[in-house]
Amino acid sequence: MKENVLSATVFTLLLFLNTCLLNGQLPPGKPEIFKCRSPNKETFTCWWRPGTDGGLPTNYSLTYHREGETLMHECPDYITGGPNSCHFGKQYTSMWRTYIMMVNATNQMGSSFSDELYVDVTYIVQPDPPLELTVEVKQPEDRKPYLWMKWSPPTLIDLKTGWFTLLYEIRLKPEKAAEWETHFAGQQTEFKILSLHPGQKYLVQVRCKPDHGYWSAWSPATFIQIPSDFIMNDTTVWISVAVLSAVICLIIVWAVALKGYSMVTCIFPPVPGPKIKGFDAHLLEKGKSEELLSALGCQDFPPTSDYEDLLVEYLEVDDSEDQHLMSVHSKEHPSQGMKPTYLDPDTDSGRGSCDSPSLLSEKCEEPQANPSTFYDPEVIEKPENPETSHTWDSQCISMEGKIPYFHAGGSKCSTWPLIQHNPRSSYHSITDVCEVAVGPADAPATLLDEAGKDALKSSQTIKSREEGKATQQREVESFHSKTDQDTPWLLPQEKTPFGSAKPLDYVEIHKVNKDGALSLLPKQRENSRQPEKPRAPENSKEYAKVSGVMDNNILVLVPDLHAKNVACFEESAKEAPPSLEQNQAEKDLANFTATPSKCRIQLGGLDYLDPACFTHSFH
Amino acid sequence: AGFLLLLLVSNLLLFVLSHYIHNLSSEMFSEFDKRYTHGRGFITRTINSCHTSSLPTPEDKEQAQQINQKDFLSLIVSILRSWNEPLYHLVTEVRGMQEAPEAILSKAVEIEEQTKRLLEGMELIVSQVHPETKENEIYPVWSGLPSLQMADEESRLSAYYNLLHCLRRDSHKIDNYLKLLKCRIIHNNNC
Repeated sequence: MKENVLSATVFTLLLFLNTCLLNGQLPPGKPEIFKCRSPNKETFTCWWRPGTDGGLPTNYSLTYHREGETLMHECPDYITGGPNSCHFGKQYTSMWRTYIMMVNATNQMGSSFSDELYVDVTYIVQPDPPLELTVEVKQPEDRKPYLWMKWSPPTLIDLKTGWFTLLYEIRLKPEKAAEWETHFAGQQTEFKILSLHPGQKYLVQVRCKPDHGYWSAWSPATFIQIPSDFIMNDTTVWISVAVLSAVICLIIVWAVALKGYSMVTCIFPPVPGPKIKGFDAHLLEKGKSEELLSALGCQDFPPTSDYEDLLVEYLEVDDSEDQHLMSVHSKEHPSQGMKPTYLDPDTDSGRGSCDSPSLLSEKCEEPQANPSTFYDPEVIEKPENPETSHTWDSQCISMEGKIPYFHAGGSKCSTWPLIQHNPRSSYHSITDVCEVAVGPADAPATLLDEAGKDALKSSQTIKSREEGKATQQREVESFHSKTDQDTPWLLPQEKTPFGSAKPLDYVEIHKVNKDGALSLLPKQRENSRQPEKPRAPENSKEYAKVSGVMDNNILVLVPDLHAKNVACFEESAKEAPPSLEQNQAEKDLANFTATPSKCRIQLGGLDYLDPACFTHSFH
Repeated sequence: AGFLLLLLVSNLLLFVLSHYIHNLSSEMFSEFDKRYTHGRGFITRTINSCHTSSLPTPEDKEQAQQINQKDFLSLIVSILRSWNEPLYHLVTEVRGMQEAPEAILSKAVEIEEQTKRLLEGMELIVSQVHPETKENEIYPVWSGLPSLQMADEESRLSAYYNLLHCLRRDSHKIDNYLKLLKCRIIHNNNC
């Protein structure tokens, strides 16, 4: 019996279900309340997810009761929160109390209940995003620029009474960047950003959260363009500079510690001493060339005063338009030869020019093929002077722009200052130049002594200086010696004691040392000022004229009383009176090996001796 | 009222303490639930389980604004006083557990200590501002110790769960109340 009843029941149910299935109608599926949120701790909303509706219109109802109460309530508001929601207004919302709620889905076929949900409003608080985010670039005059952002709390939140406490967070990034830069802003509704990339477009967002609860969604992005003149915080720059400097200092200290002396010698190489055995630099300083050279073991060198008279040469430099004294590539490496333009000797009639053979020849290695303005080409080409590594050789003097240019170093004259062709500008003789270079107080002899000394030691650089008439001149490019010891020899034109507008002027070759270094003197004129340096007063020198040649190697000199130019020599005290005497000259000339004929050059009305010829006799 | 203002301002630390205590309580509860009771429906047994539910504490903003200052302060003090004992036993019992969870224990210790400090501060203020308040005001008594010591693990876990659940709620309540008082007294309802 029981079995019959049972089977009948089952059969009926199956029949019923089949009927339903055939109709496609089912009771609703089980709904689920999946989320409840309170934006302000004064109201809250719950949303459910309906189950299958069973093909029939389904009603949903939410019922709840609260902790400590037994009465069941139904949802007061199904509308405000949207479909499938229940909104609890202020009068229905309590804090610190558990709500037990449930959704009931009902259709024609039946109903279905959701699981009970235990909800405490205390723990479902999530505010809306902040509102009215404004971003500005502020660039106050006396302070650093910054980005200023401001926003408002979301609506319906009571902050004034302290019922609700909001905390904010902002984030920003350049438009193309991948990572956000996030900043916690606490309870304030404004924020400053100092470090920004100029010229970039930034996105800014803000969000908020209760003191205890969930973060809101990010507000919509606000765009801001940072102007290109936005200067970053100096502190960052200074810190970077400081750190970099510290690192560099540490590296240097470390390197110095490691290398120690060897590095010091690399940076500041010792000044090479004179390579001349027996050479005493101090003697040279004092101007006692005779002692100096005698110490070197040179007898009869330099020549006696007579000889010095013979050696007097007037070097005249003319930088007039027509002449190209020299073209110089000042930037050339010293090892390269100098490349002067050849000065047509024909054009310097009556004048000693840079090209004139009156200058001592010298041993410019490379320029042997290139005539220099200062050296006699013939002499240069002589191969019999291998030792003529005149330090003076390297002292190439250019008269370009009145700027002396001394270069000593090896036996090369590699760079020459650029020659300025300036018809109008006055030029100075080498004497002027020399004197000026040293300073008004110094005679060229001193200058050259120093030069000689320095030349022996190192090359020197004369740096040009813009003159008052610089517009008319070109700068002499400085040449840096190997030893890096620059002797800036400035040339204040205006201060030239010898005046500034002499068409022609002369230097006297005062001495020739063993190495052929020229010691020049300003030519003394009657109307020229005396240089400050004391001179043997009435030792005015005169030119010696070659009256004849003896024995093929002796020049007979006579004082040239008819010489146009009267030169005053400066001689050391030990030198004999300047008057040239034949016997002395002959004695000295006996040492000459140079071909007298070659040494004698007649230019215009003046006879000149090429001292270069004489120097060869010393070797 | 001015005196209370002065006291509260000079005791701003109290507002920081209440916030801190709730944070700790919230963390402690979460850790406990995650470790021992999650998904097992323990929440259903928390209904009407808090010993402080008898106190007439405001449950929304309007009710809170209607309470006068004196009662409000007394209420806070009562809640704090009622938690002295439960916190003490909580620490003792957790410490005595085999394999005591260190994270939970440390927080319990900290909460107990800070709650004492908060209570002292509040009692000081009350004694100064409302000296007429009786010293031995009645406060709810906790009697859940036997439950913490039950042999049945499920019952014991439920007892701990309830205790931590109530602690989390009441610490949140105190924190909210103090923030209300701060804005009312110091900022004149203009925070």
